[in-house]
Amino acid sequence: MRAFVKNLFGDGWNIAGVAAIVAIAAGLAGIGRADWAVFAMPVVGLGVVGWLAGR
Amino acid sequence: MDWPAVLPLFLTASVEWVEAFTIVLAVSLTIGWGASLGAAAAGLGTLAVLTVASGGALSLGLNLHVIRFVIGVFLLLFGVRWLAKAIARQAGLKALHDEDVEFRETRGRLSRGDWFAAWLIAYKGMLLEGLEVWLIVVAFSLQSQAWLFDGATAVIALLLVFVAGLAVRAPLRRVPENAIKFMVGAMIVSFGTFWTLEALAGDVWPAGDWSLLALEAFYLAGGQALVRVMRRGPRRVTA
Repeated sequence: MRAFVKNLFGDGWNIAGVAAIVAIAAGLAGIGRADWAVFAMPVVGLGVVGWLAGR
Repeated sequence: MDWPAVLPLFLTASVEWVEAFTIVLAVSLTIGWGASLGAAAAGLGTLAVLTVASGGALSLGLNLHVIRFVIGVFLLLFGVRWLAKAIARQAGLKALHDEDVEFRETRGRLSRGDWFAAWLIAYKGMLLEGLEVWLIVVAFSLQSQAWLFDGATAVIALLLVFVAGLAVRAPLRRVPENAIKFMVGAMIVSFGTFWTLEALAGDVWPAGDWSLLALEAFYLAGGQALVRVMRRGPRRVTA
């Protein structure tokens, strides 16, 4: 079961990183600045990728 | 037809099936080709049932925004992981996936000669490697409703890999797995970014669907830049 879950979602760091990306997008969309999210989300996404790759 | 999904789906499936084939090949040396391919077919059958069941369940009663959000987050979870791994491997921070090592390790686990344990290893190998294929097929098909087309794309990749593998009867070590994972990771993160924000905020992408190409270019170029930066840092290769 653990292998099943890990294969689907990755480890806790991966989930935390994606949660951060989604939180940024949801936060900006929530305050009516979805136009900023268009640029912020990929930048944060790449930052998370870099953080995970360097761990 | 679901043309935008073809390349990421085919490449994801190919990489996963190469890894599954290595396990099936190793098991075949203990219990024979018939039993080993039978276990692989059973794993594939489980994945097919999973695809039909999850597709049916997820399609019922959910509106398009919810489906897009769920798919977007799933694709982010998957794509971010693949892209990060591919970058770490290309930068030399993580050892490259080696089909020969995988083959030797699986042979080592089979040394006790237990027929059922060996069958289970082939079944589980096919099932676990195929889970990511299942995820991608379900994600793209929920969006496009092109279940048969997307499923067939994954099956064609499977047939190509297994026919090639059976022809050489050796691990398919020449497949450039890391380069494919890099490209697919960037594509999947792009789809995840696009659909997640669209689900949260509506049609906000400036160029509509064409924004996907800009996202892919951004993640590919950004990923390569990260590789260059990480190569300059201290080396600590992990498995």
